[in-house]
Amino acid sequence: MRFLLTLAFFAAIASSTLSSTTASAQDWKVDYRNSQIAFIIKQMNVPVEGGFARYSVKAAFDAAKPEQGTFQVELDIASIDTGSEEGDGEAKRPAWFDTARYPKARFVSKSIKRNNAGSFTVNGDLTLKGRTRPLSVPVVMTPQRGGGWLVSGRAVMKRSQFDIGGGEWADPTVVADDLEARFKILLNP
Amino acid sequence: MNQRYRWPTIGVHWLTVLLIIAAYVLATILEDMTLSPQKLKLYSWHKWVGITVLFLLPLRLLFRFLDPLDHRAGLTALEVKASAAVHGVIYLLLIAVPMFGWLHSSAAGFPVVWLGVLPLPDLVGKDKALAEVFKELHEGSVNLLIALVVLHAAAALYHHHIRRDGVLARMVPWLSKK
Repeated sequence: MRFLLTLAFFAAIASSTLSSTTASAQDWKVDYRNSQIAFIIKQMNVPVEGGFARYSVKAAFDAAKPEQGTFQVELDIASIDTGSEEGDGEAKRPAWFDTARYPKARFVSKSIKRNNAGSFTVNGDLTLKGRTRPLSVPVVMTPQRGGGWLVSGRAVMKRSQFDIGGGEWADPTVVADDLEARFKILLNP
Repeated sequence: MNQRYRWPTIGVHWLTVLLIIAAYVLATILEDMTLSPQKLKLYSWHKWVGITVLFLLPLRLLFRFLDPLDHRAGLTALEVKASAAVHGVIYLLLIAVPMFGWLHSSAAGFPVVWLGVLPLPDLVGKDKALAEVFKELHEGSVNLLIALVVLHAAAALYHHHIRRDGVLARMVPWLSKK
């Protein structure tokens, strides 16, 4: 009897939780001060960290069904921090990001797959230096106090696919072809 | 005084000299370069060479311990003191110069990967102001090291040409065969 009561109790909680989270997709507010978009690239086999100071994120999803939501990220390439001043200058030149012609990079999600609790794969298109390539991003969504979410993950791409660092910089033994993006985005309701 | 050091001691001594010259030349070339793949290569080579000097130091101290010569023979008390002081400070600088370089690299946010294979730990977190301090210390200490090495070489030549006491030949054995 006690067991049945307990069961009924949990069933009641479960149903109330479900009913409260069946609201439709909402737009989430980004807490930029506690968010970060960084990257790591190996130079002479030395992992060097950089990042972007300015970017915007649009996230719209239903907390119960994030896989039906959409994510959009726009990077202001000129805000790049490569770890050194001369690196920042070089990165904006035509051989690298060519910020004069391509000031923005954009990622737009196309589909989201739920892997297991809190873990998703976001498939979308990354447009960088005018080239659009599909990108699959594993994402972890951690619920925060107050109903927010911390969306974090990392994705590896090849800079050669986007013609980033051509010409004399093409040699991957100096600057590796693999580029790892790391991000954590704090979303508030 | 026809004694000389054994080959391992002589070998690491002159290897250290060559490495210091190489690191200095690389640094001099680097300073005037704008960013390029070549510059990144030279930067890495400079760090590899400097760290090698640091790694060789325990070996040199070991050989010095295993292969001792009488440093006092034929010297006045003042000369013994001066010689010990110069050698002592040179040893300290052989630690300090690469360590300041390593600290500068860590503070600047660029880890050191020795020979592109062995990642060394970051000694301090990324800090631009601190990086500048270590850069100054790296440059200042290397200038002092070079000044003392010149003094050390001048003393060796003085022993060889003026005193003719065989001190230089201990580290340059082919001189004594003439």
